[in-house]
Amino acid sequence: MFEIIEKSLESKEASRASLVQLRGQKRTMTLCTVLNNVLESFSRIDLSGVSARTLIQNRSWGFSSTNRLKKESVEQTLKTAVALASASARNKPKEAVVKEPPAQVATVKAKVKKSFEKASLEDIKEIPFDACRGALEAGAEVASAKATFLAVQDQKWFASSEGSRIYQESTRLLLFVDVIAKCGSLYCPASENLGHTGGLELFDMMPPASLGKDVAERAVKLLSAKPPPSGKFQVILHPTICATLLHEAIGHPLEADLAMEGGGFGGYVSKPVMSKLVTIYDDGVVERGLGYLPYDDEGIKSSRTFLVRNGVLESFMHDRTSAAAMNVSPTGNAHAWDYSVEPLIRQTNIGIEKGDFEEEEMLEDIKEGLFIQGTFGGQADASADFTFGFQNAYWIRHGKLAEMTRGANLSGNAIAVFKTVDAVSKEVVLRPGACGKGQFAIQGRVVPAVRCEILVGGAGS
Amino acid sequence: MSLERFEEDWQFLGDTARKVVRQLERKGVSAAEAFFSASRTTEVTIRNSQVLTENAIEDMGVGFRVATSDNRVGFACTNIAGDEKVLAETGEKAFSIAKLSPSSLHFALPENEKSPHVDGLFDKEAADIAVTEFVDVAYRLIRSVENVDRRVKAKDGRVSCSHSKKGVVNSFGVDKEADETYVFAYVLGTGMQNGEVTPSCYDFELKRKFKLNPEDIGAKVGRMVVAQFNPKPIESFEGVMVFEPEAVSYQICDALIHALKGENVAAGNSCWVGKIGSAVASEKLTIVDDGVSENGFGSRSFDDEGYPSQKTVLVSNGKLESFLHHAATANKLKMKNTGNASRFNASFEVAKQIIGNGYKAKPEVYPSNLIIQAGKKDQSQLISKIKKGLLIGSMAGFVQAGSGLISAQLARAHYVENGQLKHPVKGGMVTGIAFDWLNRVSDLANDSKQFQNSVVPSICVENVKVIGSR
Repeated sequence: MFEIIEKSLESKEASRASLVQLRGQKRTMTLCTVLNNVLESFSRIDLSGVSARTLIQNRSWGFSSTNRLKKESVEQTLKTAVALASASARNKPKEAVVKEPPAQVATVKAKVKKSFEKASLEDIKEIPFDACRGALEAGAEVASAKATFLAVQDQKWFASSEGSRIYQESTRLLLFVDVIAKCGSLYCPASENLGHTGGLELFDMMPPASLGKDVAERAVKLLSAKPPPSGKFQVILHPTICATLLHEAIGHPLEADLAMEGGGFGGYVSKPVMSKLVTIYDDGVVERGLGYLPYDDEGIKSSRTFLVRNGVLESFMHDRTSAAAMNVSPTGNAHAWDYSVEPLIRQTNIGIEKGDFEEEEMLEDIKEGLFIQGTFGGQADASADFTFGFQNAYWIRHGKLAEMTRGANLSGNAIAVFKTVDAVSKEVVLRPGACGKGQFAIQGRVVPAVRCEILVGGAGS
Repeated sequence: MSLERFEEDWQFLGDTARKVVRQLERKGVSAAEAFFSASRTTEVTIRNSQVLTENAIEDMGVGFRVATSDNRVGFACTNIAGDEKVLAETGEKAFSIAKLSPSSLHFALPENEKSPHVDGLFDKEAADIAVTEFVDVAYRLIRSVENVDRRVKAKDGRVSCSHSKKGVVNSFGVDKEADETYVFAYVLGTGMQNGEVTPSCYDFELKRKFKLNPEDIGAKVGRMVVAQFNPKPIESFEGVMVFEPEAVSYQICDALIHALKGENVAAGNSCWVGKIGSAVASEKLTIVDDGVSENGFGSRSFDDEGYPSQKTVLVSNGKLESFLHHAATANKLKMKNTGNASRFNASFEVAKQIIGNGYKAKPEVYPSNLIIQAGKKDQSQLISKIKKGLLIGSMAGFVQAGSGLISAQLARAHYVENGQLKHPVKGGMVTGIAFDWLNRVSDLANDSKQFQNSVVPSICVENVKVIGSR
């Protein structure tokens, strides 16, 4: 691939740009979905392509991509990117001076124990079948059990006019289990995902059948649970739901593009913004994390970036343009979903550092509250207002877990919620995550359980 | 890429895809299908009062679906569209996957039936607009948002045009191709007042021609932001809600679509299973799917399996008339195909979002233009009758699959008392079951708006529970 893309860096078109970033990619995806023990979908997706991103007069970006993998189409793509960047260059008032980082020449392959490539299509198909069978074993109330296995194998090439040449290779595996338990007209959904960067060792830690069974048992149990209450409660957020809150409502507002010009964290660098017990980072080199991306799509090397330390806002997540605008170093957060789209400021593996509390200790001080578990996803805006669904909860009464309730939504302002954090668990877990900020992305989250106050939107009392 | 080159590549891909389908037929498959699609997209994105980037993206590829005589089905796709050998191998790959797969009951592909002509889906001019015009529209959007009030900023936005092509060939004689253009202009604004950021407010236009009204969209967004200044928290109460089109198109339509989708009906996950002919909603509600409306953003001559598009009455004065189907769900449920196979719908499913759409995806049942028939009154007349309630512009939060449970944050809402808008609402949620709300629709306004796959007005719903943030 380097041969195909490199040559155009010497072209006349390239010399018109202050910076050229070329990315080539080959991606193979294998998808297998099983619904109620019937194969719903078994697909192979092979994609490849090249993109060119150019900066003109140090102020204006243009981007172009193609699925055609030939030297002349790469040159044509570069030419288009230069023409596009020139289209608005004269309208751009500020110079987006992007500091030149040291050129990176590297080859990185993510660690794998049990290679996915060696698995036969028959082996692959058994993964979702196992999960589905496990789920259906949970009882006759299981109305629908769906398991989806997905492997994303990537080879990425990056070449820039600054001399960087980076090759990265990774395999990411995911398993999604979605169950609906039904009794009369009552539907109770439950779901759980597994995912990591690596090989089939993912299923040594959690066999698909056990995952299926766990999810289905939870769904069945929900049939006899009451709806959750509504109102403001003291809660413990299990890592599954803490991950969604962290990513959506804290992570997004900490992305420099969203923070600039009036986001919820805008103008608060070096100021206390949340509880002293909270330290938040983003780290592109967390092994096995779905956001394991040692170099970003501008060729910047990833490392751990502290965003909030002991409650004090320390940094945003940056690409080279936002870093230049705020006069700081880029943090390796420029990521594109694939070759076909331009990099945006994205999270990699966002995490909360572990605290001092055992789970029982977190329960102890709660007179009446909720232990909230599982996520149905959600959304937040730049001001950190959020809503997201949880799958189920347990009442906490006098420091002890009591009966289960069904799920509903949580909402509020995450900055306000994180001011109320008064306990963080000792244990942290690595979770799979996904994000749809204009483009799609799969990412990791490293999360503990946290205790805080939150608005619960249940229908019960 | 030049238009000629694009057309040349397309011709080659179509010819080769047809060849591969014939080769597969000779190898003894019982059904084979090639779905090929291509797009040339130009877009300009807006971020923080500036044009962020200009992009040009081209893509072209083909997906093969192959079934064996005992209904084992496989799918494989590629975007290496210019290589005959790769395309043939991809067809083979689909076949070998099929042979490995357990039998999938009720697989079906449509037969060849004549598709209607739908006007206004392709505009040659739009397909070749210079990027400078996009930049011009983008700056006009930014200016018109920010001209409303100096506290308002254009945070995000996009102006784009896609020239897209699709083709379907199958072993039952379907062989169809179509060109379409999709034009999109969108801007999102927020405002800062007393150190507080307003919720995000946005508006957009979805068109087939490059005839946009950036000043109207921008000014509307600016005014929406200003209307959010000085919000106040509210108490919990039960009252009358007017959901504006945006709120209807998102959570309420999602619940509707879930109940109407053939796959969910077949799997028993739709709460409307067995209810055809029964009342499922207020008499005020009539809902149709119209795949053939002129200029409709979701209109098309044929669906993504090559079956003719049509207009289907789904709910008539509250009574359920039909579900939505593609070939396989119609076959399974012994109902008529409604031409709703879609490979381009926006899915919330993570795996589907990772895979992508078009030639990369197998078809799923989805509405083309889901139309909730508008009422005759202005929105203000609906509001004027409310004793205590909310005007809800936008809600955040998903609908729970199947059950229709909505517990959504009030992202943009006004408190209404004695027919008057009192103040914007700070925080708070609405909660209830979408299907119960549909039974309590007391009126609809005449302000229908086109979304990607729906056209909906404001609707008025009685007795909705609001959770206050006070």
